[in-house]
Amino acid sequence: MNYIDKLLQSEDLVSPGISACQGCGAELILRTALKIMGKDTAVVIPPGCMAGAGAVGWNFDNGLKVPVHISLLDNTAAFMTGVKTMYELSGKDTKVVGIAGDGATSDCGFQSLSGAAERGEDLIYICYDNEGYMNTGFQRSGTTSKGSSTSTTPVGKVIKGKEQNKKDLPMIMADHDIAYTATLSPAYMQDFVRKLEKAVSMKGGFRYLHIYSPCPTGWGTAPECSIDIARKAVQTNFFPLYEVENHKYTINIEIKNPQPVSELIKQMGKFRHLAEEDIQEMQKMVDKKYNKLKALAAMSQDN
Amino acid sequence: MRERKYITPVGDEGIYVLDTASWRNFRPVINKDKCTNCGICSSYCPVNSIYKEGKEIGISMKYCKGCGVCANECPKKAIDMISEGGEI
Amino acid sequence: MGKIIAATGNTSAALGAALSGVQVVSAYPITPQSSVVEYLAKMIADGALPARMVQVESEHSAMSVVQGAVAAGARAFTATSAQGLALMYEPYFRMSTLRLPMVMAIAGREMTSPEGVWGGQQDSISVRDAGWIQYYAENNQEILDTVIQGYKVAENNDVLLPVNVCYDGFFLSHLYERIELPEQSEVDAFIPKYNPVHYAFDPAKPMALDPMTPGDILMEYRESHLQAMQNALGIIEQTDKEFEKAFGRSYGGLVEEYRCEDADIILVTMGSMTGTAREAIDAKREEGIKAGLLKIRVMRPFPVEKVRNVLSERKAFAVVDRNVCFGWNTGALYMEVKAALGGLGKRISSIPVIGGLGGADITQEHFMQCIDLLEEAGKSQVEHKTVWLKKEGIV
Repeated sequence: MNYIDKLLQSEDLVSPGISACQGCGAELILRTALKIMGKDTAVVIPPGCMAGAGAVGWNFDNGLKVPVHISLLDNTAAFMTGVKTMYELSGKDTKVVGIAGDGATSDCGFQSLSGAAERGEDLIYICYDNEGYMNTGFQRSGTTSKGSSTSTTPVGKVIKGKEQNKKDLPMIMADHDIAYTATLSPAYMQDFVRKLEKAVSMKGGFRYLHIYSPCPTGWGTAPECSIDIARKAVQTNFFPLYEVENHKYTINIEIKNPQPVSELIKQMGKFRHLAEEDIQEMQKMVDKKYNKLKALAAMSQDN
Repeated sequence: MRERKYITPVGDEGIYVLDTASWRNFRPVINKDKCTNCGICSSYCPVNSIYKEGKEIGISMKYCKGCGVCANECPKKAIDMISEGGEI
Repeated sequence: MGKIIAATGNTSAALGAALSGVQVVSAYPITPQSSVVEYLAKMIADGALPARMVQVESEHSAMSVVQGAVAAGARAFTATSAQGLALMYEPYFRMSTLRLPMVMAIAGREMTSPEGVWGGQQDSISVRDAGWIQYYAENNQEILDTVIQGYKVAENNDVLLPVNVCYDGFFLSHLYERIELPEQSEVDAFIPKYNPVHYAFDPAKPMALDPMTPGDILMEYRESHLQAMQNALGIIEQTDKEFEKAFGRSYGGLVEEYRCEDADIILVTMGSMTGTAREAIDAKREEGIKAGLLKIRVMRPFPVEKVRNVLSERKAFAVVDRNVCFGWNTGALYMEVKAALGGLGKRISSIPVIGGLGGADITQEHFMQCIDLLEEAGKSQVEHKTVWLKKEGIV
């Protein structure tokens, strides 16, 4: 069965009406991920866009058709560990899945994430990377790209946007030697579904999925372009699709003729102010990171 | 009256559902002459409003927010975004 | 009579948890509690305790892990002190407001700054209003017994709140005392298996654990929590009585009165200093001074009625605090005792005493001098200024 029919026939385990923005990448990621996970799943979602949109429930109602808990912003992976430990003790096979934004994952939640990864807990951790703390008003996070205009790194007369580079979370997580690390883009759905299914099928070990999540409202992009942007991110090598398993790095989709990164950022309001030299610097960084990935992949072939 | 002592609702008593259809300014309409029922649009719809009935793709208007991703992604440009006709 | 061993306070806490059949333990080291989790780690590694230990990377995660485990239906345990307790405050507050029962040992240590690792009550005192039940133990036997009693109280359906068993760092945590170990079968009979009635994170019952909640509903939850604390007063007393029937040891429930029957003046203490205070009371009684001791065993919920009953007809009382209350020029327990008595509308002489901070000694001589002060204070109605127990004596 192809991935489209699979998704068409899987039950949507999220409430049909949640208050995510029009064209929200994270909403697509949440729904698709849970379709693949299935009903025997317990979900942990820290504060952020998906929690704020209603996935964790309101008043007395749930936002999902599976158990969900809104963890603290900084302890998602630790809470998940506790739940999974007790499930194992009671002989339950239920999957424990975390669906967290980049703020919760790369900044304050990094400690608990790193701890759970180092312990190799039997968990699936999904990070939807919309490059910032979007739910609280688009503040910058560790994974915000350099030069981005955000509410805490605004473009002013003296400082123009975020001055630091994007933290390379998937690489850092891969260096924890966990069972499975992968990057995903909602524009490449077949690869997306395959990687989710792979993570689900693994018995034990920590699986980390880093997913590019376009945010129209926060990035200043048109809602209908979200998938287009997620595609350009891959086609410019800004967000290469790769996976790491048993120290082997595999680039899943090699772009034969990568587009210049300017093709990606020209659509985004948050980069509108970038000068030519900033874009060139960004291109250099993208190329450097991709070359490093290529080298790791080549090294993996030899081993 | 349900006992309200502990911080937990029971999911089977209620799912929180917002009327997101009321957000729309534009609604997607499939041009059946162009549509090949490939289903790519359904894999990209953030609100899961695109379904398949038999061999045909359809779009439900119950929760569609009118984001336009489906129209933008359709390889045959078979979806048009039609104004809901509201007053500005 | 169970097996007799020599054990430190930390070992006693660990044994209490092991006997209570804990299933998930999270472990993070901090002086002076580290040997609690080390002891349990050894038990688990030897297969002597069929529990799972999660070696976390910080106390914040230590509390988070047990939170997940208890939400999924486990009986869980962890231990911490001072800085660790401060670091875990975020999930700590949530443990009680989510109504998740567990027992956590706090080997009391002074909060930094100044930098120190030694005994004090400031850590558990700082978090007294985070909704947990807090016991203070006088000796190692009480630590072990209170952990067991703690699970029974915590998991009672009219309580469903987490419990702290607090004991002074180094003074009890590292001190060897004679301990009587209850039999496993006796403890199993005393505490039934944890059977959560309110929730367990289970796909068979897909609930949202803690959805977004507006104020009017939130207030209902707080009301229910406060009611549970009030229920705990009676259940703590009842559990201690049941413990006495089962194991032959009792601690007086919420408070213990020592030689108070005909006393004019009362020393109020909490924690390990109580042992020394008993000696001082006995010595003064030899001299014909009618002094008594009120040991506060449970600080949260505050035993208002008990304190009133014991102190209302006295001439004077002194409260010895191994902590400070920064907003008032006294210790925290003094403030709370005064608040409890305030409702009586009487004026009883009182002396706030602060001592033993940061592992400093509270000596029998200190208590003797306090009793001398109380004798003076009992002659009139005075709110004595705060007295500090220094190395050279009372100041």
